[in-house]
Amino acid sequence: MAYFLIRRVFWAIFLFFVATLITYIIFFVIPTDPAQIACGTHCTAGLIAHIRKSLHLDLPIYQQYWLFIWNLLRHQSLGYSFQNGASVRWLIGQDAPVTASLVFGGAIFWLTISIPIGILSALKPRSILDRAAMIFVLVGISAPAVWIGLILIYVIGYKLGWTPLGNYCSIVPSSTAGGCSGPAEWAYHLILPWMTFMFLFAALYVRLIRANVMETMSEDYVRTARAKGASASRVLFQHVLRNSMLPVVTILGMDIGLALGGAVFTETVFQMRGLGSQLVSSALADDLPVVVGIVVFACLAVILFNFFVDVAYAWLDPRIRLST
Amino acid sequence: MRRKHMLPMFLLSMGVALLVAATTVGVAASATHKSQGAASKAALKGGVLRVDQSAGQFDTLDPGLAYVTNDWAVLYTTNLNLVNFPNKPGRAGAQLFPEAAKSFPTISKDGKTYTFHLRSGLRFSNGKPITALAYQRAWERILSPKMYAQYGIFDQLNTMVVGAQAFTNGKAQHISGIKAKGLTLTFHLTKPNPTFVSILGMQWFGAVMPSMKYTKNPAGVLVYPSGGPYYIASNSPGRTVVLKRNKYYHGPRFQNPDEIVINSFPNSNGESALLQIEKNQVDFDMAGIPADDAAKVAKTYGVNKPNGQYHVGTESCVIWEAFNNARPPTDNVDVRKALNYAIGREPIIKLLGPNAGGATDQILVPGLPGYKKFSAYGNYPNFAKAKALLSQADVKNPPALNIYYNPASSFRTLEAQFEKAQLAHIGLQATLQQSDPNSYYGPIETKGTTYNIAHSGWCADYFDPFDFINVNFDGRSIQQTGNVDYFYFNNSVFNKAMDHAASLSGQARAKAYAALDQLLMTKYVPAFPLYVPTFRYMTAKRVKNVIYSNYFGYPDLNALSVG
Repeated sequence: MAYFLIRRVFWAIFLFFVATLITYIIFFVIPTDPAQIACGTHCTAGLIAHIRKSLHLDLPIYQQYWLFIWNLLRHQSLGYSFQNGASVRWLIGQDAPVTASLVFGGAIFWLTISIPIGILSALKPRSILDRAAMIFVLVGISAPAVWIGLILIYVIGYKLGWTPLGNYCSIVPSSTAGGCSGPAEWAYHLILPWMTFMFLFAALYVRLIRANVMETMSEDYVRTARAKGASASRVLFQHVLRNSMLPVVTILGMDIGLALGGAVFTETVFQMRGLGSQLVSSALADDLPVVVGIVVFACLAVILFNFFVDVAYAWLDPRIRLST
Repeated sequence: MRRKHMLPMFLLSMGVALLVAATTVGVAASATHKSQGAASKAALKGGVLRVDQSAGQFDTLDPGLAYVTNDWAVLYTTNLNLVNFPNKPGRAGAQLFPEAAKSFPTISKDGKTYTFHLRSGLRFSNGKPITALAYQRAWERILSPKMYAQYGIFDQLNTMVVGAQAFTNGKAQHISGIKAKGLTLTFHLTKPNPTFVSILGMQWFGAVMPSMKYTKNPAGVLVYPSGGPYYIASNSPGRTVVLKRNKYYHGPRFQNPDEIVINSFPNSNGESALLQIEKNQVDFDMAGIPADDAAKVAKTYGVNKPNGQYHVGTESCVIWEAFNNARPPTDNVDVRKALNYAIGREPIIKLLGPNAGGATDQILVPGLPGYKKFSAYGNYPNFAKAKALLSQADVKNPPALNIYYNPASSFRTLEAQFEKAQLAHIGLQATLQQSDPNSYYGPIETKGTTYNIAHSGWCADYFDPFDFINVNFDGRSIQQTGNVDYFYFNNSVFNKAMDHAASLSGQARAKAYAALDQLLMTKYVPAFPLYVPTFRYMTAKRVKNVIYSNYFGYPDLNALSVG
């Protein structure tokens, strides 16, 4: 297990550096003048020259990358936004809780919905519930996040008036949030975004869980357990679910990373200032340090999630670590 | 049978329960809001004003660096200026009143020394006293080389006050022409300047703590004590700004909401904010309503009805197509006149939907001293006159005109295409040149630029015709880069006439500028003035006391009542 962990840690670090290098090259070599952007409108040549020097844009690209890595490792600094001068680390610190609320809350929603539906569909194949679940699956898979979000906003938020149409409230009560903070407001403002995520991902998970449960139910050891007189719930809990949930854990780790991509659309539709929304506005404004910072952060998050999933998987299924 | 389905049924019920619980919590929270709103309905003061800013964010709220209208709309609520604009609708709202000053300044006989006496007992939001030093520091922050705030230099503040140039060049610790002693502030000007008091109404000149640091970073000073009706309680760049009532402010301006919360959404097109305003979830959007919704909103809510929700206010701006007066064929005055006839103002304004603004072919805007309405070219295309002028111009084989536009705006794109089509009607070829969406002005402000026609405009920095005519059309200010005169218009006769007008005051000044406005657009024609824009915006049903400022182009945030 120790060898497995060490190997995985080194692999994660290597992946991180490759990701930063590719990101850096893509975003800092594109034909735009960061000094001009940082300078804003009504800029003078002298000021542009000053900014170019202060941003080290006069250095060769490999030196710029080295400085970027050095600042990242030594000072944990990802630079400063060209647009508003804010520290990128600070911006990510502001945005990450929004996206985390969306993604993890959404994950809880989609798992809570998809696990029971998946199991019920598997236990009663071709029943009305199973067919209804399939329709749900098809809609969820086919419909884009933006469309689902807009329909939910229009029907539940605008027409029925049950939920806010957008915005995000911090979960932490704050006296400078204009009354929009605390767990109740937080959850209230996230209902529709969570439901959007639920539609997107629950569809896939229902299919996955249904197939896994049906396959596991036909295994010899399940039949043996039944023959030995184990109760239906014991068979389901101890034998079927434990085994059929293994692929779900794996996919979940990857989907959390994918959900960061989905957050771009969901955050835009629901006017949430998370990482996805920030990424879009910064990319449109050529605010390169912010774009690089978010991509690096997202890479780190995906690598970490996959690392934890690998470890969890190895712990759940001894065959994994033995084979390595 | 029952037992077999117990677990999945339990899980399913958990999922449904989670949904129901979240919705219930939300509805309960919503109900709490409603009951709170009902309880305090009678009061003008109180409540949280919820403002969105779609498709934008604040450049900075540092008063020494801010220059954009949305920044200034916020600074107006936080600043305590020597002279400022009152919370009054219409023309009255554009008349400065002595705010921190006891009265308008005493001016020396030679017109070069202005002395202000501050009211006693003024305090910043942190309780510290406001003295003349607060205003001296404001001037030094806008002109300090440590701030890189170019705007002050564009407005020639560095040559206006004695010793300002030496300070800007880093050769002096303070501006020698500004003396602060207790509650007395004296400005020594390099020459008489009738616009000086108007200039002090700009939001750069609010009281700042004498210790407020210099910074060139827009995120350098995010929150700071201020002397106006509100202060910035929190400021997350690009996200949320929270203003809170300043308990030490006792001036005449409103302090209605307890808090003003402004959320910026750069990616939003304003549709979401519009729906939220209709559902009373947001009170106002600083971006106004999307142009596509203007007709529908006007039909549903009516325009500027008493206690209505849809408002249209005229801005103190003029939108124009700048001509490059230094590049053929727009270096020829008859070509420029022909373009003024050929393009047509009303068809372009129609692209923006109803109530977008009023057509104009003047540089000055209504409300400015010296504004006198005239019409030189008409609002619809007149190809016959345009063609006649072109033949008179005697420009053989004119090169294609370069129409420079920002492709990030669908309106600008349509406008550029329309102009190209209009020019074709009079036999002129045009090419469309897209700008970098994030750096539109840089290239046209650089001498030698290759554009012929570029969309732009000007909003009043202060209510004086100098700000529109001298600032934009004084060719002696043309440098290699960073030009405000990006028309590259330089005429020695007109320069002299501008200098003369600038030296006048009162009615004589107004008359002189009215004549200059007409002369500029009938004889020299450096631009194609298009329209005086309006701000079209909705307020939530609960919002009362809407006072629109055509100087800022926004309703006064501190006056809006959600109590």
